[in-house]
Amino acid sequence: MQRLGRSCVSWTSPRFPQVEPHATIAEIKNLFTKSHPQWYPARQSLRLDPKGKSLKDEDVLQKLPVGTTATLYFRDLGAQISWVTVFLTEYTGPLFIYLLFYFRVPFIYGHKYDFTSSRHTVVHLACICHSFHYVKRLLETLFVHRFSHGTMPLRNIFKNCTYYWGFAAWMAYYINHPLYTPPTYGAQQVKLALAIFVICQLGNFSIHMALRDLRPAGSKTRKIPYPTKNPFTWLFLLVSCPNYTYEMGSWIGFAIMTQCLPVALFSLAGFIQMTIWAKGKHRSYLKEFRDYPPLRMPIIPFLL
Amino acid sequence: MAAAAATAAATKGNGGGGGGARAGAGEASGARKRRGPGPLATAYLVIYNVVMTAGWLVIAVGLVRAYLAKGSYHSLYYAIEKPLKFFQTGALLEILHCAIGIVPSSVVLTSFQVMSRVFLIWAVTHSVKEVQSEDSVLLFVIAWTITEIIRYSFYTFSLLNHLPYLIKWARYTLFIVLYPMGVSGELLTIYAALPFVRQAGLYSISLPNKYNFSFDYYAFLILIMISYIPLFPQLYFHMIHQRRKVLSHTEEHKKFE
Repeated sequence: MQRLGRSCVSWTSPRFPQVEPHATIAEIKNLFTKSHPQWYPARQSLRLDPKGKSLKDEDVLQKLPVGTTATLYFRDLGAQISWVTVFLTEYTGPLFIYLLFYFRVPFIYGHKYDFTSSRHTVVHLACICHSFHYVKRLLETLFVHRFSHGTMPLRNIFKNCTYYWGFAAWMAYYINHPLYTPPTYGAQQVKLALAIFVICQLGNFSIHMALRDLRPAGSKTRKIPYPTKNPFTWLFLLVSCPNYTYEMGSWIGFAIMTQCLPVALFSLAGFIQMTIWAKGKHRSYLKEFRDYPPLRMPIIPFLL
Repeated sequence: MAAAAATAAATKGNGGGGGGARAGAGEASGARKRRGPGPLATAYLVIYNVVMTAGWLVIAVGLVRAYLAKGSYHSLYYAIEKPLKFFQTGALLEILHCAIGIVPSSVVLTSFQVMSRVFLIWAVTHSVKEVQSEDSVLLFVIAWTITEIIRYSFYTFSLLNHLPYLIKWARYTLFIVLYPMGVSGELLTIYAALPFVRQAGLYSISLPNKYNFSFDYYAFLILIMISYIPLFPQLYFHMIHQRRKVLSHTEEHKKFE
């Protein structure tokens, strides 16, 4: 095995046991960890070509384009952390932080407002919606999602938490502020926005369930998602990533409901990121499946 | 980091046309083969860089003439205010150059660098009239002027594949003084602007309002000043590192001639 990076070490070790042709990459990674314990399997990227793509754990050695000896290139992906851990941390923050502002914990607003409660119904409604949203995300992380990758680089957790926690604090500060101004069109605006929010939350959940059902437990198979009996999933006819579409809808609803510019900015930031992800996913689908439905757009029907 | 960025602007040796090849980030110097812009793009970039070199020369000459006429170096800003605004703002085109790919630099990095310059010109110096007579303004204007004249001529010559060693040397050496000089000028100017921003509530919005939003420009400026602390040393030492690489590389080449 040869090591990529600054030092190119050609490494042949007599201690490295013979590898069977039917061994999987995952097994080879485990063997490698035995002799190099600091590089646990999740940190290893093995490739046939230094500039090529990483080999998958499920790949079998004899099915790869190698002769009687295989040269594998190793790259250290850096410290890894599990997706589940990252999701749980990044979603618990906003849940908790928003409540600090909602209950007007001391040192946020002026002392005379400590532990007071807003007199606007929409503020209470917003707290329920925001909290519900993150509780839903936490439960989905624990019970619904089936992840393709086990881990991501450690530094992502700092980046992601800063994003989620930072925006949550920023939004919560204004919505729960003693000088908060309720929406211009009053109860009508709030009701409409709430309807949009609820519909999109249900939609988003429906898509998550549909995606889960595409993939058996413990597997990493990928299939084209199709609409099911659930009307919310019919959006699959028009977009590749309706979960993102619904997520956008939820936040737009929340922004209209609270009439708060920071919420709109958070929605915009999320939209940009989700569009990038949706386009990537759409491209992967097109590459992997010849018969991918041509009508579908990545995230917005007919447009984007 | 306005001074930093453009003074810095090291990394790429030749081939970095237009506003490209700025400090920091990704690409290994000279390690990768670059296609370079096509002939039409090259012609455009040469014209662009020549015009910018000329523009900053106009600013330089304007400063000297104003100094000679006034007999003092105070309040020279007014003499070159218009060309400074015009040519520094014109640098926004460099973001476009990166975006369309005729210059091999990162759009993000170039945007950051140009925007920080434009911010200082418009959102600080132009907006807070009281600082225009400050000496700190002259400090960064001089730093920028010298830097830009060298940088744009560097690009011009690079595009024409005829780069005099003097220009390369100047670009990778003068920053040692110009960069701290520019940063000092910028920081002092922002600092001088603070009381006037507070007093006038400039660019600030407070609660309550119907969009439930607030912005304190005074606090924002302080955050900007603080951001220089991590950014300045990084850029500066990157430049020093680049200097060692580029200038020693040239030395080796000379040995073989």
